[in-house]
Amino acid sequence: MALTKQATDMISPAEEHLNSVDRGHPARLPIAALILGGLSCIGMLASIWLIFFYTPIDALQGVTQRIFYFHVPTAWTGMLGFVVMTVASIVYLIKPDERLDWIARASGEVGAVFLTFLLITGSLWGKPIWGAWWVWDPKLTAALILWFMFIGYLMLRSYMGRTPESARVGAVWSIVGVIDVPIIYFSVLWWRGQHPGPQITSDGGLPPAAVLTLMVSLATFTLLYCFLMVLVYQLQRLQTQAQRLHAIVE
Amino acid sequence: MQGSIYLVIAYAIVWLGLFAYLAFLSMRIRGVQTELAAVEELVRESQEKKENNYGN
Repeated sequence: MALTKQATDMISPAEEHLNSVDRGHPARLPIAALILGGLSCIGMLASIWLIFFYTPIDALQGVTQRIFYFHVPTAWTGMLGFVVMTVASIVYLIKPDERLDWIARASGEVGAVFLTFLLITGSLWGKPIWGAWWVWDPKLTAALILWFMFIGYLMLRSYMGRTPESARVGAVWSIVGVIDVPIIYFSVLWWRGQHPGPQITSDGGLPPAAVLTLMVSLATFTLLYCFLMVLVYQLQRLQTQAQRLHAIVE
Repeated sequence: MQGSIYLVIAYAIVWLGLFAYLAFLSMRIRGVQTELAAVEELVRESQEKKENNYGN
């Protein structure tokens, strides 16, 4: 009898994991995801309306210029994704906490998606304006290098699995790669290339209507990035829990 | 006119790409939730067996 009581009082690792899974409500999406998803939808509808019905048509480039309102926000979210991944990785190196690694992995994945859209929309703008899908301009080349850094990071993490070594190697990879982010941003100022320079300047690069449209689009894509981050973070958490429970059962 | 085609293609790719990625993400989340529920069941069964063994 005493032995039975002792056995039920002891909490096994499996039980501990089951309790932690129950506390996390794996079947439900976090409320933050629902709010961010709803706001992203509203923002996207507002952006589409502003882009196609509010902003005037560019006198030189015509309707093709409207690609800019999705191109710039995808560049912003792609670079934001890499910076967030690097910050989370650096903090992980100082204080190893798997939640930071989940943030880094999630940001890597979401950032890679946005950077892919950046390269595609850029090519689709370049063809009618420059007459070429791709030119080896410093900004474009730096953006392509960042895309390869994202893909390399994701492949590395996938190959090494969910181990502390994988997180550390990924952190070093992202620290090396983040050097490319300011290079992308300042390349138009540092080197002469074909890519247009900064559009929002004090001497009036863009009309106020275009600036408003761009700002709304930037805010929408930032919300979308946050929404996708919450989803991928949730996925990382569930995958880690499943992997741990598998290890216990085996 | 030619510019409009590129504009439509660019927006279509971003929109369809985002929807495809969202669908892919929800499939992955659903898949891992199913897997988690199955493993949880296995763990519960093994725990119950252990407790029964202790009881006997």
